[in-house]
Amino acid sequence: MTFNAAALLLLIAGLALIGWLAGRARSNLLAGRAGEKLHSRPQYHGWYVALWLFAPAALFLAVWSSMSPALITNQVLTSEAAQSLPSFGFERGAILSDARAVAQGRQAAVRLPAAAPLVKPYADASHKYAWIGIAAMLALALAGGLYAFTRIKPDFRARTRVEKIVMLFLLLASLVAILTTFGIVLSLLFESIRFFRLVSPAELLFGTEWAPTSGAPQPDTFGGIPLFWGTILIGAIIAMIVAIPIGMMTAVYLTQYAAPAVRKWVKPILEILAGVPTVVYGYFAALTVAPALREFAVMLGIPNASTESALAAGIVMGVMIIPFVSSMADDSINAVPQAMRDGSLALGATPNETIRQVLIPAALPGVMGGILLAVSRAIGETMIVVMAAGLSANMTANPFASVTTVTAQIVKLLTGDQEFDSAKTLAAFALGLVLFIVTLLLNIVALRIVKKYREAYE
Amino acid sequence: MNRQTAPTDWKGAVMQKRIAGRYAAERRFRLMGLGAVLLSGAFLAFLLFVMVGNGARGFMYTHVEVPVDFRAMPLTVDKTRLGDADADQVIANAGLADIVAFAADEALGTDGSKLISENAWKEVRSAIKDNPELLNARTVFDLPASSEVDIAAKEGAKGALGAKVDALEKDGKLSTGIHWPFFRNADATDPAVAGIWGALKGSVLTIFIAFLIAFPTGVLAALYLEEYAPKNRWTDLIEVSINNLAAVPSIIFGLLALAVFINWFGLCQASPLVGGLTLALMTMPVIVIASRNAIKSVPPSIRDAALGVGASPVQVVFHHVLPLALPGILTGTIIGMARALGETAPLLLVGMRAFIGDVPGGICSPSTVLPMQIFLWSDEVDRGFVEKTSAAIIVLLVVLLSMNAFAIYLRNKFEKRW
Amino acid sequence: MTQDDLTITDPKMKAHGVNVFYGEKQAINDVSIDVGTDLVTAFIGPSGCGKSTFLRSLNRMNDTVASARVTGQIELDGEDIYAPSMDVVQLRARVGMVFQKPNPFPKSIYDNVGYGPRIHGLAPNKADLDVIVERALVRAGLWDEVKDRLQESGTALSGGQQQRLCIARAIAVDPEVILMDEPCSALDPIATAKIEELIHELRGKYAIVIVTHNMQQAARVSQRTAFFHLGTLVEYGKTTDIFTNPKQERTKDYITGRYG
Repeated sequence: MTFNAAALLLLIAGLALIGWLAGRARSNLLAGRAGEKLHSRPQYHGWYVALWLFAPAALFLAVWSSMSPALITNQVLTSEAAQSLPSFGFERGAILSDARAVAQGRQAAVRLPAAAPLVKPYADASHKYAWIGIAAMLALALAGGLYAFTRIKPDFRARTRVEKIVMLFLLLASLVAILTTFGIVLSLLFESIRFFRLVSPAELLFGTEWAPTSGAPQPDTFGGIPLFWGTILIGAIIAMIVAIPIGMMTAVYLTQYAAPAVRKWVKPILEILAGVPTVVYGYFAALTVAPALREFAVMLGIPNASTESALAAGIVMGVMIIPFVSSMADDSINAVPQAMRDGSLALGATPNETIRQVLIPAALPGVMGGILLAVSRAIGETMIVVMAAGLSANMTANPFASVTTVTAQIVKLLTGDQEFDSAKTLAAFALGLVLFIVTLLLNIVALRIVKKYREAYE
Repeated sequence: MNRQTAPTDWKGAVMQKRIAGRYAAERRFRLMGLGAVLLSGAFLAFLLFVMVGNGARGFMYTHVEVPVDFRAMPLTVDKTRLGDADADQVIANAGLADIVAFAADEALGTDGSKLISENAWKEVRSAIKDNPELLNARTVFDLPASSEVDIAAKEGAKGALGAKVDALEKDGKLSTGIHWPFFRNADATDPAVAGIWGALKGSVLTIFIAFLIAFPTGVLAALYLEEYAPKNRWTDLIEVSINNLAAVPSIIFGLLALAVFINWFGLCQASPLVGGLTLALMTMPVIVIASRNAIKSVPPSIRDAALGVGASPVQVVFHHVLPLALPGILTGTIIGMARALGETAPLLLVGMRAFIGDVPGGICSPSTVLPMQIFLWSDEVDRGFVEKTSAAIIVLLVVLLSMNAFAIYLRNKFEKRW
Repeated sequence: MTQDDLTITDPKMKAHGVNVFYGEKQAINDVSIDVGTDLVTAFIGPSGCGKSTFLRSLNRMNDTVASARVTGQIELDGEDIYAPSMDVVQLRARVGMVFQKPNPFPKSIYDNVGYGPRIHGLAPNKADLDVIVERALVRAGLWDEVKDRLQESGTALSGGQQQRLCIARAIAVDPEVILMDEPCSALDPIATAKIEELIHELRGKYAIVIVTHNMQQAARVSQRTAFFHLGTLVEYGKTTDIFTNPKQERTKDYITGRYG
């Protein structure tokens, strides 16, 4: 007997269907007997019963299925057989999951001999908690269903009640966004504070030495400046040097010069460029662009040319951002009133004079907002830099050298074999906090600029 | 005449020269624009060209003819057990691998067993399971070559290996065919048997979970904000949250998932469940924004008409507004889901980067996703994985492009002008 | 000066048999008209009658609409403006235009006026440009109001000032003809009066063509009036004649307010 959430969900859904039918039938019956007119149509009575039956039980199911694995493991760990487990790390986890797999019948036999004595405690505990869960859930479902069923009367305002519940669901759904935001802020803050107890915020923000992997003799150093510089070099400088001119000129050409047929074909192509997953760009950067750039650098005689270069990551990231910049610029230029363009053309300006001296200055706030959003996207981009920029924290302006970024280090710190509470994993959250704050500020400023700009021409 | 100044001499040589210059500038500018468009297109074409060029070969694999004579080298197994669940184990224990290696040495010369994949015997095993009679006969198997031989056969090679491969080719012992294990298997350390099915199934499960959570939540939230929300500070807060979440770097969602789902709730690590939850949080704001735009485009006259015949506000929305807005909502959802499907960074942090040799069984078993498989393979040293990586990329791009194309089709088909 | 008595002996612009099409739809049907050099010519007619369309074909602003096509002949000083040898950039400098809604660029007042002279290279240096800008603003009657804040944005001015700024902008390139497309329709009566006054002052310096839906305005500012209806030119003559003694029944109906 194991706890299968999906099957149980189906079970209570089935019960809810029965509840729906029963509620509808009862309301019809009562109305017929009393000869009264129902306030709400029968199916609303059905819905009322079904919702009361389903919602509490489903909620319990969700809570229970996220809680019970921990409860089961706890009980197993108190068992006698668990006392001989290694106290930490990978091996302990592997043994436990092996025993769990066998106990739940997903695996015929244990792979690790140490897991064998744990199978029975696991099976017992799973069994116990599964029965507790199922019993509690069914009790909740029946109680809810019965309560609703007894309330059905011809003049009962079932529709209003159902609609109130629906509204509650709508409100809850929209609160998920706030919950997520709070979740992000709190989890980042919480872990960062733990980090800042070990390392001062000043060191992270202003330290110039990043060496969290220096090993035992020297202490780890968490100076963030090289990461911030690498992030800016790749995301805000090189990528933008590629993306802004090409994106802007693409937008200008498409809005001002291209025939509608060309526009119709080119825009989806740009959308494809935007839809290519970042891991593909990263692979492309590492496989094709970086080696080519290295050869080029060696040809020029540039020292420190590396196969993992800021330039390769930056250029490919710029290409990725082109569609974004071009669609923001496209929107901004289109938002400039036609009268402005006509005014300039009527003075005898050529289209290019009109674009450069009237349209782009007029669209500038919108374009700037778009560029800020693009920068925010570039500095938060992960896969390209993980795959192509490298991990050495260099403070260099040489674009052919390898640099590292905030996102690349977050991945590095969290994907090694470390204890979760070590300064290294906590550092990842502190870096995440810095990244979150910076991108949040960029986004807020950018959205405000764009909004103001839209209002100016409406 | 009342003019105070002489009229401008538009026909004069100076003015004509200036005009010519201005038109030249105009042409240059226009060319620059065209150049930018072409450059973007060239990037895309180059990227696709490189991926297809590398990847097309990844769908193919070289096989070597190896005759195995079980009469000369008997495999001692109890034939009645070949239908059992643990038949694989039984055959492996009987030493089939050694027999196949020996047969390869015999057929292909010294070190012949190095020319075939170290997992080649597994193909023989499944053939035996299908037809136990093979154990009484001499059969010629087309076994997968080793990764080096495969590359040498495809690209040509120098030295001893190259000579060997050329000789095999001349003898007609090499054949190339579609590499079905690539579509059937999960990850493996040997390119000859590594496949994308495990990752593909992981992706499907993950996206399914993400859709199941993000779609209803997103649509309901959009309905609330667009149709019912009062204008107050709470509503503003919700709106600001959604707009910002849509622009938060994806890796931040990975940190959130690591801290909350794994360390706090203790949900199964590296599973489609956690991955799906993470992607759901990431995709929800996108769906909310798309849905709000779709709901906004339903004209108020429809609402007035429904209210006018006595429908309640909830009935108005669920009977009239939602059905009319649905095509737009679905378009936005598909595009958001396609983005989630290509996402890698947040999943790195919830443990989905581990080597998973099994096809995931359920939403709580360790699994990986297609983009992650690409990332993992891109790091492999074995050269055979280069084309596997590109082949996996082609599969991913085909899936994503079809999703996007479907979204565009949906938009064009149901787009209404009110 | 009683220019009302003059007949047009030396037309600035001559249109002959002009048709304008938007795609399949014909917006202007066989219009022929002469625009006098020192006169203000008003185009009147009910909305949608094609008067603005015809006006926009006089400086080839219809070129910016992809589907628009113009046939027939329009001459400026005897030169066909649709001939391949005619340069549209220069044409528009010679035939300036003021639009229905004031459309100053989001630049300073000085740069708004200096924009045309700069792109056409009419001012070799800053001092020359200063002179041109000042003269244009003076002529547009705006100088006294803005001379102390030339660096402020043109969009910060009031609606009437913005429209005079647009007139100054057109004057600054020293055009021969100024086309005005309902220049007062977005303005209040006081601003309208100022613009009308300005048109009086500009008469004789430039050939002016004004489109208006306001018949009183046409009567006040123009010496010649053309009445358009459904894409055709119904009647064209001295303004006094059109308003007091129209020859066509349709003109009379419109003037007396039967439709419009």
